[in-house]
Amino acid sequence: MIKYERFQLPNGLRVLFHKDETTPMAVVNTLYDVGARDENENKTGFAHLFEHLMFGGSINIPEYDAPLQLAGGENNAFTSNDITNYYDVLPAKNIETALWLESDRMLALASTPQSLEVQRSVVIEEFKQRYLNQPYGDVWLELRPLAYQTHPYKWATIGKSIDHIEEATMQDVKAFFKKHYTPSNAILCIAGNLDLNNVRALVEKWYGSIPAGNKYQRPIQIEAHQTEYREKLIERNVPSSAFYYAFKMMGRNHPDYFVADSLSDALGRDKSSRLYVSLKKNKQLVSEINAYITGSIDTGLLIISGKLNEQVSFQEFDTALWEEINKIKTVELESKELDRIMIKIRTSREFQEQGLLNRAMNLSMYELLGDANRINDENRIYSKITTTDILKCANEILQKTNCSVLKVKADKNAR
Amino acid sequence: MQDRIIAPTLIAIDHIDFTAPKTHRLSNSVNLYHMNSVPNETSRFDLYFDAGKCKGAIGIAGFVNGLLFSGTEVKSSIEISNEINALGGFLETGISVENAVVSIYCLRENLVSIFKVVIDAIQNASFDEKEVKEFLSDRKQNMMVSMEKVGYLAQREFQQKLFASNESYSKTVNLSDFESVSQTALKEFHAQHYLKGLLKIAVVGNLPDKDIGFIKEKTRSLLTEKSHCFDGNLENKNGSSHINKEGALQCALRIGRILFNKKHEDYLDFLILNTILGDYFGSRLMTNIREEKGYTYGVGTMIAELHQTGYFLIATEVGKKVKDDTINEIKYELNRLQNEKVKQDELQLVKNYMLGQLLKSADGPYSMTDLFLSAEMHGKDLEFYNEALVSIQKITAERIQELALKYLNWDDMTIVSAG
Repeated sequence: MIKYERFQLPNGLRVLFHKDETTPMAVVNTLYDVGARDENENKTGFAHLFEHLMFGGSINIPEYDAPLQLAGGENNAFTSNDITNYYDVLPAKNIETALWLESDRMLALASTPQSLEVQRSVVIEEFKQRYLNQPYGDVWLELRPLAYQTHPYKWATIGKSIDHIEEATMQDVKAFFKKHYTPSNAILCIAGNLDLNNVRALVEKWYGSIPAGNKYQRPIQIEAHQTEYREKLIERNVPSSAFYYAFKMMGRNHPDYFVADSLSDALGRDKSSRLYVSLKKNKQLVSEINAYITGSIDTGLLIISGKLNEQVSFQEFDTALWEEINKIKTVELESKELDRIMIKIRTSREFQEQGLLNRAMNLSMYELLGDANRINDENRIYSKITTTDILKCANEILQKTNCSVLKVKADKNAR
Repeated sequence: MQDRIIAPTLIAIDHIDFTAPKTHRLSNSVNLYHMNSVPNETSRFDLYFDAGKCKGAIGIAGFVNGLLFSGTEVKSSIEISNEINALGGFLETGISVENAVVSIYCLRENLVSIFKVVIDAIQNASFDEKEVKEFLSDRKQNMMVSMEKVGYLAQREFQQKLFASNESYSKTVNLSDFESVSQTALKEFHAQHYLKGLLKIAVVGNLPDKDIGFIKEKTRSLLTEKSHCFDGNLENKNGSSHINKEGALQCALRIGRILFNKKHEDYLDFLILNTILGDYFGSRLMTNIREEKGYTYGVGTMIAELHQTGYFLIATEVGKKVKDDTINEIKYELNRLQNEKVKQDELQLVKNYMLGQLLKSADGPYSMTDLFLSAEMHGKDLEFYNEALVSIQKITAERIQELALKYLNWDDMTIVSAG
């Protein structure tokens, strides 16, 4: 049971406080309800570029990192298609420094041209390092637009291309901030061995005077129901051919979301999973195979990916894969298979909950999804899942007409 | 409206609670360390073996480590995985130059049952030919992927140059080494380095004494008997080398030298110099190469420790066009530390930051155990970290400059680039 307190400021900022008496450290986690899905299709990669700019100094404080380091803390951030999340970890006794810094960059950024120019090049190097200069690095740049046709999930958080990052202007930066970085668009979670009244007083002191701004109302973004099988073949100079089968699945707020998560575990979480045992160990078709979900708020993806063994054709693999998929759609899992999946889920959750930062991030995420308290329902929800639920879910998701396949063919002469 | 320009008052860290795990002596040279104070259901055990890459013929240590759970005469690899997974265990195996380690993460109620499975798998590994063949083919494919990455190419070349004085340390596996692996060689290595090679056990978890007793009992026959010797006189080959990689968009840089470990009197103070140069987000190198010039997504420095020595490393990946500029800037930053004293405000910031990080690294039973093991490896106890705290509080700009002059000479460095 993860306990927390919740309060809201008049400007709309939602605040969660989680007390943990066992640690000398504290966490300040700030989740902004903005991700790559909120970008203009002609200016992609912006939410992530903006995350970098949030470290370039705020209206009253020239540098973000140095004062936090001086307080013995460190910080980082990440951007996904759904959210942008910033966190500070520091000795609990210096918690006010983090609130001072975080609140000032919620109030206003310094937005210097120097900061934009430098972060633009840093992000371009990140684009190269993670997406272009790695074997298979560009698969998500290819797979997303194949699986999504209208929803903004069709582009990756890094952006569609380097051009979009090169073209970003200071005007874009300022407009983006005004639109999305308001108190009512943020969730603040403070965790550590602190006192609620002190936390409340500090939050009111530093965040209370930030103007409310206008609450951004996201237009409804629905990806039309997929009705046809899609496939794309790309040739790359990679050592072995790789495959990515992407099936549409329900978003995080759907009651069957956790069933689909369990289904992906049954298919390919570990060395006991269906696909690993059948396609790798028994049939020796692949050198690696995994199944996992993207965990998206809107329509997400269940992915089956891996690499073919030498001499194995895409077609041979494809036939064997669909045989396995048909099995899981026809016959219910054995109960010991379900037990194995559930004990692994329970174990990994126990480990995740050990960390203060993880708890703070998860509380913030659940608050965004509607209610932080749902963090405490997860175990109960998983424990109620039956083999019948998984069979039903498999039939819903694992359809050919719901599937987009990216094949990366190894070719020595390709780029 | 409050004054937002003035920072809140800071409270200094002047004391950190360090809690040691309990030591159980298993033999003259092997200990089991048990961290019992865990406020939840999680647990972990680590088995350290004298089976690092510096042992045996080229590649063999890595192959045996990767094949530890590939089956026994009576159980297939799938059966072993199923047993571990059915108990909710997460298995990790790892190998470094001097050690190999097997770790399990699980709920404490399942630790003993998983331990039985793990020990049986390791003790009776049979190196079935089909499993070996499949494993080698997978590893070869992985390596071919790695060979496409400039970071991997640079790291590999760096290791060869860094440990140039000792072939056991400098050897790196080649694609051709996957072709000629005999079952006999695997079995011999296994017998020598695992069946008689257990160096250390660490257990984290709120477990009853009988569980610890069971672990002791089960591992008795595996304990290493000989006192192992590691090289304390490694010397790096200084100078530059470049690995060409057609079509690469970035260039990976690895710059460093053999240095020392926790046993050396300059170690603690050098850690502070290392932080200033490149081991935190506001470091000299990050500020110069990333935040001012935008050449890279990241640059970092570290001190890596071996049993009898250690080394210093600067690592980054930069745009291909700015490779030479980056090397010049790194050189410039090393010179600057040698020629100018660090200013008081920068030094104060690094001190406070490092004290905060030390507090964090002692937070929770898992971090605490890792901190302890890192000291124990060099015959130290947790008092070492109290010394670290004092050394951070006391260090002066003069001392930093002295260490830079002593250890950061460009001519002593091995410089490797790949791209």
